[in-house]
This record gives sequence, C-alpha cells and structure tokens, in this order.
Amino acid sequence: MKVAKTCATAADICKKVQDLQQQVEGRKHISNGQESLKRQSSTTGRTVTLTPQALKHIWVRTALIEKVLDKIVQYIVDNCSKYYEKEALLADPVCGPILAVLLVGPCALEYTKLKTADHYWTDPSADELVQRHRIHGAHTRQDSSPCKRPALGIKKRHSSGSMSEDKFAASAREYVESLHQNSKIHLLYGKNNVQVQPKEDIEAIPGYLSLHQSGENLTLKWTPNQLLNGTLGDSELEKSVFWDYALIVPISQIVCIHCHQQPDSRGVLVLVSQDGIQRPPLHFPPGGHLLAFLSCLENGLLPRGQLEPPLWSQRGKGKIFPKLRKRNSCNKSVDFDDSFVEELTTDYVFRIIYAGHKHDNNSGDVIEMQGFGANLMPWKHNEPCSQGSSCLSCSTGSSPYDIPTCCSCMHDRTPLKLLCENMKRQIVSRAFYGWLAYCRHLSTVRTHLSALVHHSIIPPDKPTDASGGLTKEVWSKYQKDMKNYKELELLRLVYYGGVEHDIRKEVWPFLLGHYKFGMTKKEMDRVDEAIASRYQKVMAEWKACEVIVKQREKESHSAIYAKLSSGSSIDSHVQRLIHRDSTISNDVFMSTEEIDVTDRDLKSHNGKTTILTNTPGTPSAVAAEPQQSVEFDSPDSGLPSSRNYSVTSGILSSIDDGQSICFEEEESSTESDRTELSMGPPRKTKGVLKMQDSICEEQLCSQLEYLSNSEDISSMCPTSYTIELLDTIALNLHRIDKDVQRCDRNYWYFTSDNLEKLRNIMCSYVWEHLDVGYVQGMCDLLAPLMVILDNDMLAYSCFTQLMKRMSQNFPNGGAMDIHFANMRSLIQILDSELFELMHQNGDYTHFYFCYRWFLLDFKRELLYEDVFAVWEVIWAARHISSEHFVLFIALALVQVYREIVRDNNMDFTDIIKFFNEMAEHHDAQLILRIARELVHKVQTLIENK
Amino acid sequence: MAGESAAGELGVPAGVPERREYLFKVLVIGELGVGKTSIIKRYVHQLFSQHYRATIGVDFALKVINWDGKTLVRLQLWDIAGQERFGNMTRVYYKEAVGAFVVFDVTRASTFDAITKWKSDLDSKVFLPSGGPIPAILLANKCDQKKENSMQSPSQMDHFCKENGFVAWFETSAKDNVNIDDAARCLVENILQNSKDFPVEENDVSSVQLEREPLTAESKSLCC
Repeated sequence: MKVAKTCATAADICKKVQDLQQQVEGRKHISNGQESLKRQSSTTGRTVTLTPQALKHIWVRTALIEKVLDKIVQYIVDNCSKYYEKEALLADPVCGPILAVLLVGPCALEYTKLKTADHYWTDPSADELVQRHRIHGAHTRQDSSPCKRPALGIKKRHSSGSMSEDKFAASAREYVESLHQNSKIHLLYGKNNVQVQPKEDIEAIPGYLSLHQSGENLTLKWTPNQLLNGTLGDSELEKSVFWDYALIVPISQIVCIHCHQQPDSRGVLVLVSQDGIQRPPLHFPPGGHLLAFLSCLENGLLPRGQLEPPLWSQRGKGKIFPKLRKRNSCNKSVDFDDSFVEELTTDYVFRIIYAGHKHDNNSGDVIEMQGFGANLMPWKHNEPCSQGSSCLSCSTGSSPYDIPTCCSCMHDRTPLKLLCENMKRQIVSRAFYGWLAYCRHLSTVRTHLSALVHHSIIPPDKPTDASGGLTKEVWSKYQKDMKNYKELELLRLVYYGGVEHDIRKEVWPFLLGHYKFGMTKKEMDRVDEAIASRYQKVMAEWKACEVIVKQREKESHSAIYAKLSSGSSIDSHVQRLIHRDSTISNDVFMSTEEIDVTDRDLKSHNGKTTILTNTPGTPSAVAAEPQQSVEFDSPDSGLPSSRNYSVTSGILSSIDDGQSICFEEEESSTESDRTELSMGPPRKTKGVLKMQDSICEEQLCSQLEYLSNSEDISSMCPTSYTIELLDTIALNLHRIDKDVQRCDRNYWYFTSDNLEKLRNIMCSYVWEHLDVGYVQGMCDLLAPLMVILDNDMLAYSCFTQLMKRMSQNFPNGGAMDIHFANMRSLIQILDSELFELMHQNGDYTHFYFCYRWFLLDFKRELLYEDVFAVWEVIWAARHISSEHFVLFIALALVQVYREIVRDNNMDFTDIIKFFNEMAEHHDAQLILRIARELVHKVQTLIENK
Repeated sequence: MAGESAAGELGVPAGVPERREYLFKVLVIGELGVGKTSIIKRYVHQLFSQHYRATIGVDFALKVINWDGKTLVRLQLWDIAGQERFGNMTRVYYKEAVGAFVVFDVTRASTFDAITKWKSDLDSKVFLPSGGPIPAILLANKCDQKKENSMQSPSQMDHFCKENGFVAWFETSAKDNVNIDDAARCLVENILQNSKDFPVEENDVSSVQLEREPLTAESKSLCC
C-alpha cells in the first residue's frame, strides 16, 4: 500500500482490492498486501485463519488478473531500499530482478475469461483451467485432470479463498488428505521414514513415500514428515520450504528407475523422467522396502504397463539373476525379497514400458551408470536463493498440488554429460514412441474410418488434370459421343474442379440422379414425361386437399364469430375449434393465380383408366351415399373428432348451411369404393373463400379419386384421412407458407412468382412424404436447385432425389447423430488437440454446432455461388471418394479456424456464435481443397497398412 | 491491521459504489413463425423486416443495457428455432439460461396452445441454481394484427400466466415496436432479483469476491 503512493499501477490495484474487500463487508481486518511479498523475503506474516489470509493476498491475485503484477514487483525491486532490509530477497541485486522478470510470463496470460454461469460459483472456468494447465506444461499434462478436479471440488466446499496465491497454508490440509486413499485415488503403497536429501547442504530428511493410483495414472509422492505431523509451527516460511522439498512425480513421466542396493540392505531409488531429469534419490530404510515398493509399482502399472526387468543387469558384470527373472514373470513371492536383499551392493536399472511396447535392446544399453552412486549427488544446487523466485513463478496461478512439482525445476542442473546421455536415450525412445503411437493411430483410423471413404483413390491428375472441372467444351463432347465418356471420368472432373456455371442446368439432373449418364435423348424425354405426369398428379391431389383445408378454416372462423355474435363467452367448444385451426391467418394461402390443374390431371393417374368427366360436380350423386359421419369419430386422435365436427356443422348450419352439408358429404364419400369420379374444372383459388358448393364437390371428388388410386396413402384408413390427415396437411401447408415467404428474399431469384413455384414443389414433396412432413430447412435445400434448374418439374424431381439423402438428417432419420459421431471420431484422430480442447471447454464434443451444416449441406454457411460449387462436389464425391464428404467439409471448416478456436479457448457458445457470424464469409474453394485433402489423408492412412 | 490505515491513505471513502456487470443468457422460444427473430432484431437493432430467414438451430444477439448508474446488463439472447426437435439439442441450448421469453402469435390460436408445451419443456430442462424455474415472460406478438376477440381477455391472460408460472405477459409488436423494451425490462428485473437472492454460502468470502470477476470477463468473451 505504501508502494501505491508512488506507483500509479499499484495504486490502481489497491483501489480494486479495496473495492473487493468492501464486498466482504468488513468481515475481517484487511491486511497489508505487501506482507505476502515479505514472506518471500524471510519476514514472517502471522496467519491466524484461512480467510484473512485469503484476503491478505488478494492484491496478488488482483494484480495478476490485471496483468500488472510484474510491473509492481519490478517497481518494488527498483526501489527496494525503501521497503526491504538489505538481506531481503527482493533487495538482492540478482534475485530481485529475476523475480520481477519471471513474473512477466504469468502476467501475460489471460485469467479472466470465465464461463457464463460461473459467477455463481467460485470455480475458475474451464478456460482458466486450460490456461493454468499450459503454464505447467508437460509436468501436469498426464495427471492434471484426475488430480485437479477433485481438488477443485474440495475447494468449492471449503471455499478456501482466492485461487492463485496463498495456497501454502490453505492447501496443506487438503494435500495431506490427498495422501490418504479416497474414492478417486487408490493408495498402492505407503512407507514412512523414507529419506530424501533435498539439497546438498541439508541433511537427508525423513518423509512419507506414497504411491497413488487414479484411473490409469500413477503418482508418486514424498512428503516431509514436518508437513505431516505438524511439529512445526504455522510459520509460513518453514512450511513453504518443506513444500519445496516435497515431491510429486507422475509415474507416466518416468522412464527409468535406478536401484542401488547398499551393504546395510538399505535401498536407494532414483527416478529418471522422460526429459532426462533425475529426481532426488529416495533412501529406503533397511529391509525389503525397496523391493516391496517396486512390486507395488509393477502391480500398479498393470495392465497397461510393466517394469522391464530383462533390461537390468548387474553393473559391471552384466550378470542376470535367475531369481529376478522369476520375479519378472510376475511371480511376486515373498521369499524372493530375502534373496534380493542378500545381494551385495548392486545397482539395477528398470525401465517402465507400456503395453505393445517391444523393447529395443540397443536403446536400453545406452546408459552406463557411471558416477551415479548414492555417494555422489547427481545434481548441484548452488543457488538456493533462486529457488524462491522460480517457485513463485511456477506457483502463481497454479493449483495447490502443482507447487512441489514445479519446484522440481531445481534439479535442472544435472551434470552435463549425464544429461547428454539421457537426451540421447530420450531421442531414441521418443522416436520409438512416435512410431508406436503412429501404428496405433493407424489401426484406430482403419477400424473407425474405413467405412467413411472409398478405398480406391481416384487421383486428380490421371488420366488428365481435373482441376479445370467440367467445362462446356467437355460436356458438349460428352453429349456428342456418350460412349467414349465414362461417368466416373465426368464425376472426377466435377469432384476436382466443379461444373462451369453455364452448364449446371444441364449437368445437375445427372449428378442428382434424375437422368442417368449415358441416357439417350429419347430416354431422357421419357424420364421427363414420367416425372411431369407424376408432378401434375401430386399437385392436383394436394391442391384439392388444400381447398378442403381452407374450407374448414373458414368454417371454424365462422363458428367463432357465430358464437361471439350470439354473445356467449369463449367456451371450451370453441376453444377446441380454435385449436384445430392452425392456419387461420394465412394470407399466402389465397393465391391470386389461376391454377390450371385439370388439364394436367387429365393426362395423369398411374395409367389407370379412370374415367374423368370434366363436368361440374354432381352433389346429388355423392349425397346419395349413406351418411356415416358417426363412424369417423376418432377419440384417440386428440383432435376434434368428426363427431364433434358434425355437431359443429349442425350448430353452424344456420350460418353456412351449404358448406357443412358439403363436408358431411365428403366424409361419407370417402368410404365408398367409387373409382369413377368427376373432375372439377379449373379451380380459381382466388375464390376459395367464396367457394360454391359445386366447386367444393369437385375438389372432393378429385380427392376421392386420389384416395382410390394412390398407393402412398392407401394404407392409411379413410377415417384418419378425413380428420387427422386434413389437420396434418393444414399444419404442413402453414409451415411451408411461413418458410416460403421468407426464403432468401434478398436473393434476386426469389420473386413472388418463383416463390409460388417453390411452394408448389415443396407442397408436392411434402404431400408425398407426409410421414416426415415439412421440416424447417427443406426450403433452403430446394432454393438453390430452383435457382439453377429454373424448371418446376426438374426441380421437383431433383429435390426428391436430393432428399433421399438429406431427409435422413431431419428428425425422423438417424443421420444427424451418425454425423456427429463420425465428426467425433474424425476430430479425435485427425486433431486430438482440438478435440481435447472441445472436451475441456464445457465438452461440446456433441458437435451440435455443426447441426445447421449437416442439415442444409452448408447452404446457410455459404454464398449462393459457393453453395452451387460445394453441392456438386458433394454429389460427385459420393462416387469418387466418399459418401460422407460433408463430414470432410465440416472438418475443413473446423481446421481452417482451429487456431482461432484454440487460442480463444472457445466454448460451445463461442464456437456456435463464431460460425454463425462467419456464415457466408468462408473461402469455399479453400475449404473444398482442404476437404479433398482430408479425404485423401484418410484414404492414405487406410491404404498404408 | 495495516490494511485499514492503508485504505485511509488512499483516500478512498468506504462503500464506494462500484460498477457491476452482468451477463444473462436469455432464451427466446415459441412456435415457428411467431416472430421470435423479429422481436430480437427489433429489440437489439431497432429493425423490422418481413423477410428474416427461418432460424435453423440457434442464432444469437447481444443487447447491452445501462440498467442504472452502477449496473451494466448484457443480455445474450438465444433465438432458438421454432421447429427444433432434434433430440438432446434444446437441452444444450437451454443450459445455463437465466430467463426466457415464450412467444406466441395472437393471430394464430394454435401458437398459443403450444405455449404450455414450450413452458414445460423449458422447466424440465433448465433451472435456477436454487432449483426453481427460470423467470419466463409470455409475449403475445403481432398485436398490431390483432382482430377483435381473437385473443383471450387480459384477466384470462393473467390467470393463464399464474397457472403456468409466467412472471408476466405483454402484448408486443415487433413491427410497431410495442412493449418489447418493457417486456425485456421486466425480465431483467426478475433475473436481477434472482441473482440477488442467490444463496451465498455462510462464511464464503470467495464466492462474493469471485462473483464479479467472471462477470467483467464474460463481456470480453462476448465481444469476439
């Protein structure tokens, strides 16, 4: 606080700290923040309880978050004479500046990016955890999650205060507790009075050695007795010194274990980690403890790993002990201990290897255990004072358990020669591990992904370079001489180079399967004719139905008004009517165009020789059918039954008699087996609301005609058709209208005329697929087809073809979940780092942020021109490289932005927002290129067995 | 200890009002075509168009409100597609929301009937930390097109809200900018009330300290 008077930065921090402290409502005395620094310089700060201590150091945390801690410390160092005694650490001409400089790194990191709901909790966000995780680097990589997560859980309950500083006392109890067995961590081995000489100038001190298993991770801990039995006072300094001595060694980092047997049957054990750093020797008390420990360790390593005893040999003699061999074959007999102990001073080297690791003898022999005895300290530690600073830098922002691990950096000063040897061995070992990992990787890829891509690779450059795509020139050559062009070759051109825009209209029907490659003009005409007649038939059917739907709507409107006008309140009966009426407000429904259905109708109808009479309807004929409206009652439908409906009609009869009669007729007629029906004249949908009974009849007749001919709905019982189907159709028509009206209105093509066509095609498709119905997004899929084909019939056919694949993505199909699962496998294998990040940042490995991509084949992500290019490649890819090419486009999108995703530690909200904002800003050609490369990569991985 | 005098040294008066920042995740749900996107665009960008595309999946908007002199509220509005039925996805979308608008279209009774379905879906998937339902406001949108008697009476609506756990209802029009700001203000009031009521553990200093830190931070993450 004194510093604040002269240093502006410090003043800022003081202010912030005070703001914070005021929140605490003066619960405790606010201590001078400076004291925590003095702790580093041998000044003892009294700590009474946890909470004030947390308060006391809050300034460190604040300064760190504000990224100015380094500046403040630098200031203090620069002006150390004012604040510190000569012998203080900060006043030291070397150590002081080092401390300040070391803090620059931690201060450059962002600690504040927390997640949405975290303000309710004391937890740091996943982002912050990842950030911290990075600070420690490889040290905690393996065991960070099992160790940290329980720790944070405990923290939340105990609410021990701010996270980044002040962990020494705060975490002591937790640390000691963590040495015991708990639900998450098994204690495999524990031995007290194992001695470690932490520094050259310090006597070996006894401590508690323990081996913990958490999941697949083994961790060795050694804790000085002073920390365990509390013989020391609360003095922070002493505590922190012993904390520095404590060891936490993840066994996964250990590659070698050196054992030295001494004549007095004491055992000395030295652990060597991957980076070649040796840990301080552990001196086991006399007895078989060393061997017992090794035995526990070996047990703990199973089943994944094991000690590699064939490698160890008696130093100098190269002699291998049969008894030890016996032990290697996993017989851990107790009597073996004795024989082991009987050996004279001998040194052994064990390696820790993991399953599938076939050891290479040469690499093992690289080490000669020269000058590595218990007498000689293998590390030098000449600068005790620098230890404090390095520890501070390591520990800022770390979780309590990491402190001792971080402090192992004091062992860096290993003799150079030994270090070089270790490095040499490490390089060989890493090369081997790399190869091993690659082999495993390949096998996983093969099993997971072999179904995703075609196994034969069709190259971009053979027989000719395909990057130019399918040009007009090539296409006209194909049309002239179809026999000399193979389908696959054309598709290859499309896949690698796309289709020239001018010929898309001609090529797309082939790509989508409307035409087959190699069809003659005549055959194509036949296909067109068939499709045209089907389209017209379907149009007639649903348009007829639409009329009925409109009719019902009008009725229920009338019913409401009838009720209202009669002065009664809205009772449940009318409520029910409202319920059914899902399309009341649809202005779109009233088309102003004349739709000439009849002419087309006359050509159509499954070749069945239905006699169609183009006369006005004959109500009398239909009305002559027995009235069976009661039978249409469907109480389970949850919708107004026809019984209710009839009642309604009865109620309404005074208002609109003709229409209700018309309806009764319709209902009853559906029961009949009539196949000879009259078709109505051209319908003027404009006049729907003013429809005459006779026209209504015509609609009904065509409807009936449809019913008796259509295979699609023949399975549906007439009862459900009458009411439920009409409700379904009303609902679907409404949804279609809603979306058609707002489909890409900013794109020039979608004038009201073309929107009408879009609606017709969509209604036709939905009519044929009422089981799925209209789902939002279908309009988006149809729109680009219409833009290119600009022909109702073709667009209808191509859309139907396209939907064979795409409808699986909609709720009734299971394709979306499969896409997500495949994305999960692919990212996990192709970019495990990103996968890990996704997992850590709130776990969005459900990949829901790709939902829109897959649902619409990236249509919303790209500009129209790019949609064309991407879609045709997707269609061609099906035959060239992969039926799941969309997956690779999705992967390409993720890959293009992976650094941004990673560097910003995006969580689900961030990434979905990011990609929403990036929509229509992607470089489609780049993404296609990457996607093709990714397919090729996976193909190559599978090919190279 | 020294700290108290230090505060005096700096001359900072005790109890200085400090600026609070909140980030609230607010859902906007309801049947398709009721005007969810339009309401959001009107509220955030003061725009209206007939031609907003159908929302697929989810869209976002951020509204920053200077609530009062010392409180800044950021509303992260989640515009969830009206026909979103893909399995578990809405659960993920709803996660960590603290408030919701449930929208229906006064000109279409069926969208009102669906309100109870949306509300129970909401209440089954997201909760306040206290375990209660998140505050939800019922919006009767498109009131500019309202026909006589096409909607329930205000007293019926009040009753409906009470019965279905809505904190309030508003007749809104995204087109004519009717009541949208009021509805948002009402929701924020309720959310703020909840965040104040949020149980602070006894002796839990850190939760108080930390509560505000993440909030300042969130704003950064939002601006990306």
